[in-house]
Parts: sequence; structure tokens; C-alpha cells
Amino acid sequence: YVTTILEDAKIYSSHAKKSSVDADDVRLAIQCRTDQSFTSPPPRDVSKTSAGGNGAWGRAAGSDLTVSLQFLLDIARQKNQTPLPLIKPYSGPRLPPDRYCLTAPNYRLKSLQKKVSSSAGRITVPRLSVGAVSSRPSTPTLGTPSAQTVAVSTKVGTPVSLTGQRFTVQIPSSQAAVKAATPTTPTVQNVLINPSLIGPKNILITTNMVSSQNTSNESNSLKRKHDDDDDYDNL
Amino acid sequence: VVVEDQPDVSAVLSAYNQQGDPTLYEEYYSGLKNFIECSLDCHRAELSQLFYPLFVHMYLELVYNQHESEAKSFFERFHGDQECYYQDDLRVLSSLTKKEHMKGNETMLDFRTSKFVLRISRDSYQLLKRHLQEKQNNQIWNIVQEHLYIDIFDGMPRSKQQIDAMVGSLAGEAKREANKAKVFFGLLKEPEFDVPLDDEDEEGENEEGKPKKKKPKKDSVGSKSKKQDPNAPPQNRIPLPELKDSDKLDKVMNMKEAARQCLPSICFYTFLNAYQGLTAVDITDDSSMIVGGFADSTVRVWSVTPKKLRSVKTAADLSLIDKESDDVLERIMDEKTASELKILYGHSGPVYGTSFSPDRNYLLSCSEDGTVRLWSLQTFTCLVGYKGHNYPVWDTQFSPYGYYFVSGGHDRVARLWATDHYQPLRIFAGHLADVTCTRFHPNSNYIATGSADRTVRLWDVLNGNCVRIFTGHKGPIHSLAFSPNGRFLATGATDGRVLLWDIGHGLMVGELKGHTDTIYALRFSRDGEILASGSMDNTVRLWDAVKAFEDLETDDFTTATGHINLPENSQDLLLGTYMTKSTPVVHLHFTRRNLLLAAGAYSSQ
Repeated sequence: YVTTILEDAKIYSSHAKKSSVDADDVRLAIQCRTDQSFTSPPPRDVSKTSAGGNGAWGRAAGSDLTVSLQFLLDIARQKNQTPLPLIKPYSGPRLPPDRYCLTAPNYRLKSLQKKVSSSAGRITVPRLSVGAVSSRPSTPTLGTPSAQTVAVSTKVGTPVSLTGQRFTVQIPSSQAAVKAATPTTPTVQNVLINPSLIGPKNILITTNMVSSQNTSNESNSLKRKHDDDDDYDNL
Repeated sequence: VVVEDQPDVSAVLSAYNQQGDPTLYEEYYSGLKNFIECSLDCHRAELSQLFYPLFVHMYLELVYNQHESEAKSFFERFHGDQECYYQDDLRVLSSLTKKEHMKGNETMLDFRTSKFVLRISRDSYQLLKRHLQEKQNNQIWNIVQEHLYIDIFDGMPRSKQQIDAMVGSLAGEAKREANKAKVFFGLLKEPEFDVPLDDEDEEGENEEGKPKKKKPKKDSVGSKSKKQDPNAPPQNRIPLPELKDSDKLDKVMNMKEAARQCLPSICFYTFLNAYQGLTAVDITDDSSMIVGGFADSTVRVWSVTPKKLRSVKTAADLSLIDKESDDVLERIMDEKTASELKILYGHSGPVYGTSFSPDRNYLLSCSEDGTVRLWSLQTFTCLVGYKGHNYPVWDTQFSPYGYYFVSGGHDRVARLWATDHYQPLRIFAGHLADVTCTRFHPNSNYIATGSADRTVRLWDVLNGNCVRIFTGHKGPIHSLAFSPNGRFLATGATDGRVLLWDIGHGLMVGELKGHTDTIYALRFSRDGEILASGSMDNTVRLWDAVKAFEDLETDDFTTATGHINLPENSQDLLLGTYMTKSTPVVHLHFTRRNLLLAAGAYSSQ
């Protein structure tokens, strides 16, 4: 403790361009440290409903109070002035904007350079260059070379059937095709799923992904590989 | 006097600039003491109220002006004279021996800056004033003027018993104006349903013709009682969520079950192996789930019925189910996750309060880490963490209509939140010490908060105003219960007493003595006839609420003067005492069929 305080005091004294550490520096260092370690609840205001007239000088002292003591009651007054917001009917689970919720996935997907594990179908993703995000109701079937990730967190309040958005990741079958089609380099290692971009229906949107709701893709589940190649080129 | 760096604190503390001669303080005080003890009996009780605040203020003045030895001898000489219910405060005070100590203690600072309220009859006050102004030294008179607020009333001076019932809080009593605002304690109109039973009677109390309020008829079609209850808030006074179909189904179930009147029995849920870690319990309204908050920061949910807890299927599976089928609500649940117990991890400190939402979809928990967390009971994951209190949050509760919830904590405020706002909607500031208990009124328009400063305050949700202050407890309040008709409030504290309050008039109407330890659970039965209280003394007591609230003296005189006459009828009102072996009672809940559920953790001592 003492070492920390003295070190802080040294910093303060050198900041003030003093030649040696002063008692004031030490005092300042102690104060800053205790402010950090031991905080206390914001002080309440002087009671404003007290009868006027009693103790004139006492009231005068009260008016000298700086913002910190008035803080709590002022904030309360301010907050309490705004009318209560109206409630929209039929709006499903009533939660704050997703930024403030804990509903986003808190993981990142690490890339595996070479191959795709396609066993359970819901596993991680090799590099994501440009992927078409399509919504398909079918579960991923085994054996497709394109792995799919389920990157959804369900948020349920009413029994609504959620269609998960899935990423289809295409392993570039040929390096050349990829290089031509995509702006990103093939050495992209990680997929960064930025939680702040999660939209209301758990659609993960990244900047270099296009979400498309091609229902026509539904029928082509097994043959997707080739179709998606085409999609890439078009993109 | 040294000027401090922090101008705000110094301004507050400079309230002690008065430099009376320190050695004479003891003389002043004993002079006053003699005067009061020699005064007429009828005045003595009222004037004795002065002792405590004067003692504290004089002591703190001496400490502030750094007359340590005088302060110490002053304290030792007079602290034994104070009333027994102030002893806890005095113990804290005895540790404040230096000026620096005062700076850190928020509660004492607030005590200094707010005025201690005393209610004294005019005659007694005249007597006091005359005496103090005659004396040469005006030290005490100065203190009285600076720090005390004397609420004078015309009438008979109060007896010691009456005064003892009402004092005890850190701020003295409540001023008359504090309890004057109109409070809408009536219940909101329930929408009508087709139930093949007799409809419940609407709450239709009409007192002397009061102006009727406009009320949009939302759901009720052809309601039975045409008159609006003048004591009920208008339906749209605060925005409330609309009634979903699932809510309507719930209400029909509620009415069906409630129709069969049975005698109460008590079913106790004992938490074993909790190792003193059980800190909060809640039970859903239909008594299907029980949640426990623990000191190891977990929240555990149990299913009390044979139906297990299931979480919703993943999105992948959900897309497979037939959405049109009738039992789609069953199908969305994943059988593989069925279990009797679900553990929710997320808090980083002991969980001090839990609350189910009325539609059983959400669970709230508040903890020492300063956050209130909203959990989904369909996925059993945490949805939101509401950060606002930066200090331990002691209690939280959902509104009876859902959507809103209130939380109270160590920062001495209670906050009103809505589930879809990440910041609080209202801040209720005014208590001098931690807010330990928060409850919604059945009509969701008011919030009661009990605090460690021994007062209970009633706040208006609409504008955040404090509409009632109830003093009388001698210890921090730990439980609150509104009566189902919305008219009365029952409060329980560490002093082992249950106090009953009439909200409309703002008066204490009853005192139930019997418990010997802190009362942590209070609940009215659904018909309002029985009040159940559970306490750390390992007992549950049932009190007759009907008898307690009949024949109330609520005339204008009582309201004006606070002359309450509480009958000593605790024994008559006690219907039964039920002892557990060694399990303090933490929660009480009446099921729809009038079965009382109680919960607590077995403690082996």
C-alpha cells in the first residue's frame, strides 16, 4: 500500500514539475486511491421540505452545497418528470435494444484452415469469404461439403416459430475463383461475429455477408454447392 | 475551523460552526433534562422526544469541533438515558469519535442535514420555548432551530404510549403534510369473462360523493357495477401492458380455482443443505414453480408440480414443428431438457431478491453485484442485466400486471424499470438509509418501500412523489404486504412487530406483537381475511385481518393529531402459531385454493 501511494505521489509531483515529493502530493495520492477503492453511495440532498425561516444561516449554508450533494434528488426529479412511456401492444417479448441485452452469442468462431467438419452439421466454419445467407427451414443434411453454423440464440416470449438464419460457408473449391470473387483475402482466419450487428430476429449480419432470403434455394439443398459457386460469382 | 477540500461536505459539516463552550454542553443538556423532568406529566412525554435528537446533535457538534474528550464524557454521561430503541444508533455513534469519521458515514451526514421531525402539542411547545428563551445560553435553542422541525398541533398532548408507537425512525416522525396527498388505493377493474360460476363482486366502495373520474372501458362489456370506485385510479393513469390471450386464460383458471373455499393449511418447503446460503425465495402465482436465490450467486428454479421444467427447442428444431397444431405450446418444448431443477448462473454476488413475472415467462433476480437480471423461463438463460444501482440491490419485484418492476438497494433509492428500457423510468429518492424492501400496490400505481432508516414510504409511480411516510418501527423493515383490497399495508421489521397501516388516511391502525425476531415474510390471504407472518424465530403466525381492520377510528381528529389508540389485542387477533424445528421462514404464499405455502432453509443450530 505504502509503495503504491508513494509511487503515485511521485507521479503527481513530477507532473507538477516539482523537484521532490511533497506532503501535498502524498495527500493527493491517498485521496485518489481511496476514491477508487472505497466508494460510497451518492449523498442525499438537504431536505427541501424543511420549514422555511428556521435557522437562516443554516439555509444559506445549504445553498452553498455543490452539485454532488444535490445529485441524487436532482436526478430523481429529472427522471420523474418524463411521463411514463406508452406500451405498444402486441410487441412480443418486451426487451431493451439488443445492445443492452445479453442475448448475443458471446463466442467467436475460430477458423480451421483446411477442412470442414460436417458431421453434425452445426459446427464451425472455415474461412468465410462471401457467404450467402439463406434461410432454409431444413436441417443441414449430412454430407454436404458446405458446413453450416447455427449462430442463433433463441429469444422466446411467444410461441413463434423461429427460422434460424444460417451461414453457408463455402470452401473455395478453387483458389482462383475465390480470389476473383471476393474482396477479402483467402487468409482470413477468423470469423468475427460482431454481436452489435445482431438484428432483431437473430439474423447475424456481418459486413461482408449478404443476407438473402432466397426461398428458391430450398429445393436445392443438396446441390447447393454448385449453385453457390454461381452466387459467388454474381456477387 | 479548517476549511476542507471538499466544499460540499464542509458546507454540510459547517452546520456545526456554532462554537458554544464545549465544557458547558453537559450543563446545557442536564439543565434541559431537569426542566423536562420537572414539567407536568402531560407534557413530559412529549418533551422527552427532544432528548434523542438533541443528544446526537450536541455530540456530533463536539466531535466536529474536535473536542474529543468532552464529546466522550458527554456521550458516556447521557447515552444511557436514551430510549432503548435507539441503542443501535448509539452504538454506531459511539464509534464516531473523530471529525474524519463523520465524513465517511453517509447516513449520519443525512441525519445532520435533514430535519428531525417532532410532533408536539401547542401547549408543550409554548412551555419549551419559554424556558429556552429565558435561559442565558441559547445553545440548545439554536440547535432546535437548526436541526429540528417541530410540527405543532392543537389538542391534547400525547401519552408516552402513543408517542412510543410512532417514533423510532431516523428522521423522527412524519409531518402532517407528508401524509395528506390523495392516494388511489382502490383496485383496477378486472375485465369480465364468461365463467360458468358466479362472477366475483366488483370492488364498489363509494364514500361520500366524490367526483367521478373518467375511465375508458377497455375490456369490460356491460360491467356489473356502473359506478367507478372513487378510490381507484383511472385505468389509464399509468400505461399498462395489454391483456394477452394467455393472460386471459390464466385469469379464468384463477377464478375457477378460487371459487372453492377451503380452510387454510400450511405446507412448508424446506431447503436442505443450503448452508445458510438461501437468501431469497419466490413462488409463482399459480404455485407451480419456486425459485431460490443463493449466496453463491446462483438462482435455482424448481418445479413444484409433477410437470417438469423444459426449455424451448433450438431454432433448428423449432422450424420443424407443425405450427398449426393445437398443442404447439407443448411441442416447442424440448423433452430432452426436462428436469425438476434449473440452475441459472450469471450473477457475481449473493442473490438477495427474486420475483416471477405474472405470466411466468420471466424471472427477475437482484444481487449484491448491483445488477438486476431478467431471465427467460423458456430458455433458462439470462436476457438482460439492468445496471443502475452501483451498490447491492436488496429487493426487487415485478408489477402485478407485468412489464414494470421495482428494485431497491444500498444507494438509498428505489428505481422503477420497464423490461424494455435499459435505464430506470423513475427514481424514488428520499430514504436516509438503504431501501431493504420494495412492493407494488395491487393496482400497480404505487410502490411501498421499507428502509433501514425505519420508515416505510409510499411512492406514486406516475410522478415519483412520496405520498405517505409511515414511522413507528424500531428497526430496519424487511417485509411489506398490501391487503388484497388495496386499502391496508402490513409491515414487518427486525423489532418483531407487525404494524398495520391505513393507506387512505395515513395512520397506523394496528400492531401485532408476538414474534421475537425479524419478520421476513408477510402475506395476506387472497380474500384478505388472514394475515400470515413468518419470522427468523422459526414460526409462522396467522392473524385475523378482518377483526384487525374493523371499527377503525379514522376521524379528522386522529388524522390531524396522530393520536392513535392502538388496542392491546394482539393475543385476540392471533389465530395460531406454527413452529418449525429450526427453519427460519423466508417466504409465504397463499395458493389459489387457500393453502399457505412457506419456504425456508433448514439451519442446524
